[in-house]
Amino acid sequence: MKRSLVALAALVLAVAGCSGGGAGAGRTASAPPLIIHAIDSGTFQENFNPFHLEGVNFGTSGMIYETLEFFNRLKPGEVTPWLALKHEWSKDGKSLTFTLRQGVKWTDGKPFTAEDVAYTFEVIRKHPELNKSALELKATEVLAPDKVRVDFASTSYAKLFNIAGNTPIVPKHVFEKQNPVTFTNPEPVGTGPYTLSSFNAQLYEMAKNPGYWQPGKPEVPVLKFPAYTANGVQTALRQGEVDWAGAFVPDIEKIYVQGKPETNKYFFPAEGVVALLPNLTHPVLSKPEVRKAISLAIDREKIVRVAERGYTQVAHPTGIPMPGGEAYLPPEHKDAKFAVDLAEAKELLKDVDPAELKFELLVPSPFTDWVNAAQLIREDLAKVGITVETRGVAFQDWVSKVGKGTFDLSIRATPAGAEPYFQMRSMLYGKLAAPVGKSATGNYQRWKDAETDRLIDAYAATEDEAEHHEATQGLGRIMVEKLPTLPLFYSPSWAQYRTDKYVGWPSAQDPYAMPSPYTSPDAAVVLLRLKPAGT
Amino acid sequence: MRFLLRRLGFYLLTAWAAVTLNFLIPRLMPGDPVDLLVARLKGNVDPAAIDAMKRAFGISDANLWQQYVDYLGNLAQGELGRSITFFPTEVSTVIAGSLPWTIGVVGVATLISYVAGTALGVLMAWKRGTWLDGVLPAATFMHAVPYFWVALALVFVFGVTLEWFPVSRAYALDVVPGFTGEFAGSVLYHAALPAITIVLASMADRILGMRNVMVTTLGEDYVVMAEAKGLTSRRVMWAYAARNAILPNITSFALSLGFVVGGSVLTEIVFSYPGIGSMLLKGVENEDFPLMQGIFLVISLAVLVANFLADLAYVILDPRTRQ
Repeated sequence: MKRSLVALAALVLAVAGCSGGGAGAGRTASAPPLIIHAIDSGTFQENFNPFHLEGVNFGTSGMIYETLEFFNRLKPGEVTPWLALKHEWSKDGKSLTFTLRQGVKWTDGKPFTAEDVAYTFEVIRKHPELNKSALELKATEVLAPDKVRVDFASTSYAKLFNIAGNTPIVPKHVFEKQNPVTFTNPEPVGTGPYTLSSFNAQLYEMAKNPGYWQPGKPEVPVLKFPAYTANGVQTALRQGEVDWAGAFVPDIEKIYVQGKPETNKYFFPAEGVVALLPNLTHPVLSKPEVRKAISLAIDREKIVRVAERGYTQVAHPTGIPMPGGEAYLPPEHKDAKFAVDLAEAKELLKDVDPAELKFELLVPSPFTDWVNAAQLIREDLAKVGITVETRGVAFQDWVSKVGKGTFDLSIRATPAGAEPYFQMRSMLYGKLAAPVGKSATGNYQRWKDAETDRLIDAYAATEDEAEHHEATQGLGRIMVEKLPTLPLFYSPSWAQYRTDKYVGWPSAQDPYAMPSPYTSPDAAVVLLRLKPAGT
Repeated sequence: MRFLLRRLGFYLLTAWAAVTLNFLIPRLMPGDPVDLLVARLKGNVDPAAIDAMKRAFGISDANLWQQYVDYLGNLAQGELGRSITFFPTEVSTVIAGSLPWTIGVVGVATLISYVAGTALGVLMAWKRGTWLDGVLPAATFMHAVPYFWVALALVFVFGVTLEWFPVSRAYALDVVPGFTGEFAGSVLYHAALPAITIVLASMADRILGMRNVMVTTLGEDYVVMAEAKGLTSRRVMWAYAARNAILPNITSFALSLGFVVGGSVLTEIVFSYPGIGSMLLKGVENEDFPLMQGIFLVISLAVLVANFLADLAYVILDPRTRQ
């Protein structure tokens, strides 16, 4: 899903082939800097305020500011203590007590204490505009220098990831002198492995925090973040200028790997699922047999091969990202797989008036891969007598139409989150299904089912892992049997990394964190694992 | 003087219309910035927080009229608001950071192309029938070629294949911005290809425009008379013919400033140049109303000022307008 301009640039690059292509900077005795592309940006603005969602420079969360715990999205359920050593819920799931790591210091030398944690959550409570995880905060209390309690207005077990894994802790003594909403924090003071060492509109650099609480780490002394536009990063990857990138590359073997698979590596794990959304308020699409027939007619293998260039895999029928989500699969559907069966699809449709089988498939035209997928779907469905007209619209228009539910069929990705529950809730929760014409924030196909909502509520009402698995399995069963939405393939997380300077990157064999440089705080976890090559 | 006052009144009216359109047009786009942000961040944001973000960005549900009044009020105080894309950076800061690059490259390149193109047009009209006529087909060709195509061709040949010039950024990464020779050199080196693109793509218009008018002017009686008086051919060419022939070219220059900024959007995108065009693209992609409005305002004011300067030039060059 990239802009057509990228494709244009890629064409230029592809024609240019492998002429030239420097081998990067010469290796020096001391550990070299690591050059990172996280997000496409022509220029940077000086903003290192971790409360901000948009506009904040990458690395603020993770490298400078740290969270209380680390949640490995590639192994749901794997939680590593970070600034907090442990957490404990009250019986009703409305208050959460953290025991903090001792001996951690801010980069200005002041100690990190429970005051800072309490202050961070107080800021979010007092400023609803900074409450990006929609936490229902009620109060905070410092119990001891290393103990803090956070109270919520409602049962919040299911928000543990947002609370502990996605809220960077800021120093009270710096932020209390500022307005946290508009503060741009040009000289960030954090607990993380790096500090900001220089900034200009085209490049900023971070240097190792010598007093970091993990002894001997990080081993990468300097990080450089140059501003790359979507076109620029393609050239940079081809010329070997960037060491770690999170970019869509149209022809990765030719542009990036260049015949050196042992150093120029990439890893595209699933970070969500792309599904064909049937609008369930449509009288024909609301019939389960029609959705079943559509699902049986689509050749997902071909879509992955042709439209997605083989960069990803066909989704499991439950939509749960694999590998990693095994424990959440309903046992009887563990080995379920999507298969094409045109005969059965036709059989299912025999009672439906063929004149009614006419749908419009809405796709955002900048996502050229989805546009191609839509064409393939159109061809597949024509084989069983379903007429699909694909319609490419501007990104803005697509967001608005899908949000309001004014479409027949569309394609949309749902992020996986820390555990499959997040994805299931966002795809299926009845309370998210706004009436047609009102902008929804999830469940765009408008699935309404009492059992689904019961399972989602049951998950949120407990912190018991076995019960979590059970509820998610129930949701997976609904996905397979009732087809509320039709998973197509996993949306990949893009990560290209070179092993000529540093080794120890996440891989399919060792998925210890999301490999893409744009995922926070995972990127910092990756940096802490890196070691100079050849040692 | 009355002429100038009348023009000034006209420009004030135009400025008001431009400001109002700046306000209206971005709001006619479908969707709203927060929905787009959620779709683009692919889930790093909880959809339930949409309300929180709308508040942070100051997106109000107030009616259009109220928003318009607020907008005019803020504008009067020079307040452009905060960008959504670069929240919480002020729009004026974003523009201040990118405008110098655009003025530096696009402005200088346009001037070069104007001066060189006009001079070449004058020469070609004067010496028609000589080898200089060979430039004509080339100019006609360049006249028809769009900016971004020239840009892509230059990137491909000189940037990617030959690697003579850098293909992105305004200066090299290992150079620290400051008043140093090294920095200035790097800026010039990086500006070369975008500037050449603009000169190549816009010069043809000037050559053709100037030559055509010049050819007509050379047939006028006063030119024949000037020659008959025995004036030097240089004097006849510049002071008699070119001075009259340049008037339509000045108007078209002022008008084309708007198109220069428009064309430079594509040039800047192809070269990843951090100017106002790249910012405008970002703003449009993110439905960043404040940023779009700010940039459109700068562009429209630039065009108006350029037109006003063109009027002043008329007053100097053409005595008939002075009454």
